[in-house]
Amino acid sequence: MTPALFVQSAIIGVSLASIYILMALGLTLMFGMMHIINFAHGAVYMLGAFVIYYVFFQGGAPYFAAFVASMILLGIFGYLVERSIYRPIKGGIEPTLVALIALTTFLQAAGYPVFGQLDKHVPPVFPGTRNILGVGISIERLMIIPLAGALVIGLYLFINKTRLGAAMRAIEQDKEAAALQGVNVHVVNGLAFAVGFALAAASGALMAPIFKLDPMMGEQPLLKAFIIIILGGLGSIPGAILGGLMLGLIDSIIATALGAEPAFLLSFVFIILVLLFKPTGLFGYAP
Amino acid sequence: MTAPRCVRWAAFLAVAGLAFVGWGSAHAADVIKFGVSTPLSGPAAPWGIPHKNATELIFDEINAQGGLDVGGKKYKLEVVAYDHKYVIAEGVATVNRLIAKDGVKFISILGGAVVKANEEAVNEGRVLNLPLAYADGLVSPRNPLTFHSFPSPPETTTFWKWIKQNHPNLKRVATISPNDDTGWWSIKVETTFIQKLGYETVAKEFFERTMTDFNPVLLRILAQKPDIISVLASPAGSVGLIIKQARELGFKGRFIHIGQVDTSVVANIAGKANVEGMWVHGFVQAPLPEKVKSWQARYTKKYGEWNATSIDFTNPAFAFVAAVRKAQSVEPKKVADALSIVEFDNLWGKAHFGGKDYYGVGNQIIYPMPFSEVKDGVATLVVQLLPPHN
Repeated sequence: MTPALFVQSAIIGVSLASIYILMALGLTLMFGMMHIINFAHGAVYMLGAFVIYYVFFQGGAPYFAAFVASMILLGIFGYLVERSIYRPIKGGIEPTLVALIALTTFLQAAGYPVFGQLDKHVPPVFPGTRNILGVGISIERLMIIPLAGALVIGLYLFINKTRLGAAMRAIEQDKEAAALQGVNVHVVNGLAFAVGFALAAASGALMAPIFKLDPMMGEQPLLKAFIIIILGGLGSIPGAILGGLMLGLIDSIIATALGAEPAFLLSFVFIILVLLFKPTGLFGYAP
Repeated sequence: MTAPRCVRWAAFLAVAGLAFVGWGSAHAADVIKFGVSTPLSGPAAPWGIPHKNATELIFDEINAQGGLDVGGKKYKLEVVAYDHKYVIAEGVATVNRLIAKDGVKFISILGGAVVKANEEAVNEGRVLNLPLAYADGLVSPRNPLTFHSFPSPPETTTFWKWIKQNHPNLKRVATISPNDDTGWWSIKVETTFIQKLGYETVAKEFFERTMTDFNPVLLRILAQKPDIISVLASPAGSVGLIIKQARELGFKGRFIHIGQVDTSVVANIAGKANVEGMWVHGFVQAPLPEKVKSWQARYTKKYGEWNATSIDFTNPAFAFVAAVRKAQSVEPKKVADALSIVEFDNLWGKAHFGGKDYYGVGNQIIYPMPFSEVKDGVATLVVQLLPPHN
């Protein structure tokens, strides 16, 4: 592999990792607080992309307005899911899992009659390429990195610098103790659903102009996000960031050097090795 | 009402009921069900939707004329279609349902991997299959009731001879294809053929059908500096992404798909300018011969929107109707025997099943295949070629 090819594949890997990280952050946030794995995350990613399709491409709204609309709409949807699914079944982990799988299946199945059977596309928001260290990279892909980075920083500040974030951290550490301290667990759980869904929607909204849109488009990113949170440690935000970066770089650099199949296999070998030495993941802790 | 009158009424109703059921059975027997297992959703839907629509339209037109005359009896033709999403498990489930539940004896399956997975079910069920699919060993003496109704790579690779003669500057070829039976076989056939013509195959990559980010694979390919990239056997959605991402990475050469792909769907994803110069088989937007223009008008009238992929996907229905008329039977074996000898018209000219020299059995459709080049965003017919075997 030439140095130029390495640089090109590394930049593409970081761009890819940015999306994985956004997906994984929403998942890990919800797992950390409620110990649920949100199987609907991929479907929410898909809905986030379709909001861009309808609001930006079909509706003619500015891309960033559509992006914010996507996060807000899916955030509200997340809050409603907490109210209508998670809360009525009183936070039972297994019933919630089954209910979220059912929600995913419903959203994907409903996607074909609602959005149409053919793949959709969104025109480029940042067309063209930029030369970086002698290699051409699509500006669209480059723009993902600062946009996703801004969202990650925003989430970090929200979790660590606001009262609501402190309430989330308190619930993550000890739900009963947090409730005794006056934290409204239901409201904060609802907020965690809203934030988690909004992050998945942001991932979909960022990817909409780069890939094609179809009701099943969230399955692959969801699988990647699962791998990342296991690699980084369930419930760990720094773990999700580091895990996402590692997986994105492995996916891109190894696939460029050896091909897609070896990269797929090697990413799993790498995860197994990490889990052999640290079964709780890179930043995870034993319950 | 007295008791005897009640009994008489009951008897009358029973007889009337039996007569109705009898009429219903006789009526049901006058329908020939034709199963279609095809992707109606997902990335391969641009193939599946025109497959189903083309079959239905041809059958509707025959039904409007009173039906298909077999031995002096008129049969209505009915399409029973299921979506397999180009997922093998769904393909197996839909074909089992068609054979076991719907009782079809004639079927058309789209997708190489799906057809291969159903080989046993089709052979054991003694069902006549008219697939649109690329797969190694599909056309073979092992599958006597399978009549492949679309030109495969052994037929369409002949277009490379035309390229060699008309574009001698193109020398280095890279291929990228789905990582399954369809992709492996298609690329094996294509690379063997083009290497004999003197082309250098500089890269050969395979991808999972769910893949959307082709950048790493394309970086590998582009490092070998190909003049032309073949995307044989890839569905339109994937081809669109491959072309878009390859252009972003700086590829200036040509693309070719000698399978079949809707270049308008590809252009929607890749951008019109990026698809310019692409060569494709089986997708023509202009100029259309009169016969195809008439088909376009009828298709657009029924479905509201024209789909040029439907042109070549009429083959299973045309072949089936011609064979039933020739056989004057609705027995799959007799219809298959008729398929072996019947010559019929498809939208590009005279068609028949042949290729025995190549496949060992004459079950491959043969006709003057259309090849086009995307010019100003339009897939423009450049040449019609017969396969190297008859």
